[in-house]
Amino acid sequence: MKKFENIKKDFPIFAREVNTKKLTYLDSGATSQKPQSVIDSMNNVYINTNANVHRGTYVLSAETTQLYEDVRKKCKNFLNAYHSDEIIFTKGATEGFNFLANSIVKKYLHPGDEILLTEIEHHANIIPWQMVAKQYQLEIKYITINDDFSIDMDDLKSKISSKTKIVSITGESNLSGLLPDIKMIRNLVKENSDAIFILDGAQLVPHRKVDVQDLGIDFIVFSGHKLLGPTGIGVVWGRLELLNELDPVSGGGDMIEEVYYDRATWAPVPHKFEAGTPPYVEAIGLGAAIDYLENITMEKVSDHSDHLRKYAQKIFSDLDRVNVIHTNEEFAGCTFSMHVDNIHATDISLMLDTYGVAVRAGHHCVQPFHRKLGIDATFRATAYIYNDENDLDVFKDALVNSIQMLG
Amino acid sequence: MPIDSKVQEYKKILDLFPNAQEKYQYLIEQAKDNTDFPEALRNDNFKVSGCQSQVWLIPEKKEDKVYFMSDSDALIAKGLVTLIASIYSDETPEDILSSEIDLMEEFELGVILSPARRNGAFNMLKMIKDYASKLTNS
Repeated sequence: MKKFENIKKDFPIFAREVNTKKLTYLDSGATSQKPQSVIDSMNNVYINTNANVHRGTYVLSAETTQLYEDVRKKCKNFLNAYHSDEIIFTKGATEGFNFLANSIVKKYLHPGDEILLTEIEHHANIIPWQMVAKQYQLEIKYITINDDFSIDMDDLKSKISSKTKIVSITGESNLSGLLPDIKMIRNLVKENSDAIFILDGAQLVPHRKVDVQDLGIDFIVFSGHKLLGPTGIGVVWGRLELLNELDPVSGGGDMIEEVYYDRATWAPVPHKFEAGTPPYVEAIGLGAAIDYLENITMEKVSDHSDHLRKYAQKIFSDLDRVNVIHTNEEFAGCTFSMHVDNIHATDISLMLDTYGVAVRAGHHCVQPFHRKLGIDATFRATAYIYNDENDLDVFKDALVNSIQMLG
Repeated sequence: MPIDSKVQEYKKILDLFPNAQEKYQYLIEQAKDNTDFPEALRNDNFKVSGCQSQVWLIPEKKEDKVYFMSDSDALIAKGLVTLIASIYSDETPEDILSSEIDLMEEFELGVILSPARRNGAFNMLKMIKDYASKLTNS
């Protein structure tokens, strides 16, 4: 089992400097850095086994197909899914939501039906629903977020009804670190509606052990690049009985059984949802990322996140002029969005960059909620397994200096 | 002074600062000195699109020359637009349109003037040329 000490050495990027300073990377909420093992796994495919999957009748194709399909099993175990066939590869979480929005709505929803989201969803869990809602005359409702950035459970209860057909919520907020009580919400939803329950796992899956059977959800969506894997690969997990009923939204090679000039039949799940050559090299990189995390164990990964989060809460509590958007709940992710009165978030992040500190500035794809709070932009520090207390100290000192310089 | 010469003057000044932090501090000073932008004109008509912060640019024609007023709600962006406005002010629309200076190549301003920041500075320059083009036609 891997220990957390010296973990940065596994990530080649930390050997470089930024603006002559040691790199302090606190933007893992946007994307994570990659360990050498992930980079090696992808290089290995190109150097040793590369061939298109599912087609060849030769050694290279068979080996690559094996490596690719093994990742489906790894994902199945990682999520404690019922079956490997429930794992669908997409190019990322965004494509996952677009696929679900189009396939589920087309199959199950009717004009006047309702989709329930929260006010702090990422745009990827808003826009695809808005697009289909317009097309199919559906209504989208948003669960209110309280002043302390928790979910307003009374509002949730009041908005679930027999008209609610889809509930899609974040498993971990990319803005405030909020970890909603999924099981409680799921139970409320299932007791009061027959809605399909979808979890946005983009921030949650990299940081916590997710057991889809235990959570009792219907679908989860996440991307590989936020959990040490490459870009261009993501996963949709769904219950097999639901996936079997859904129609593909994308057609092409590899997703068919029989093709005639006027019609076609689909390959079985999961292949009917994976049209064209899949990003198999990226999928294999994702497999290596999951191996890396499981070698550490997800329990330790989440303990580390909790530890850093508590440390950050402590050292950020006496920051002058800084308003912190972070949930007060007992459990939360190490995600801190901030704004400083009369100083633009972009100025802060540009100044922090001169100290080698990488954070994101903007609305973090949560624009409606920023609008509700009455702020244009925030800057956000997010930590992951390779971060330590020293990174948070460096960030804090650089922030204090930046505020001083910006007046 | 021709646009080229002003660019070279600013280049000399910026090159005096050894790192991004000191260059940003210079831009912040430029921003703080730029105080004459009328509050009422901070509206969408004069807003530069595609900037992470809000940036405004307003042209004014006096005789045959064009002058630019600029503002931003972020200090470093304001410093940059102040500098750009000063480069293209006191010039004829024809000179502005024929100038082919690539500021991204001339100024080493770290991430704020790199092609990686897709829109901001590029759109400031585009807006200046668009204004110049309209003033030539009018």
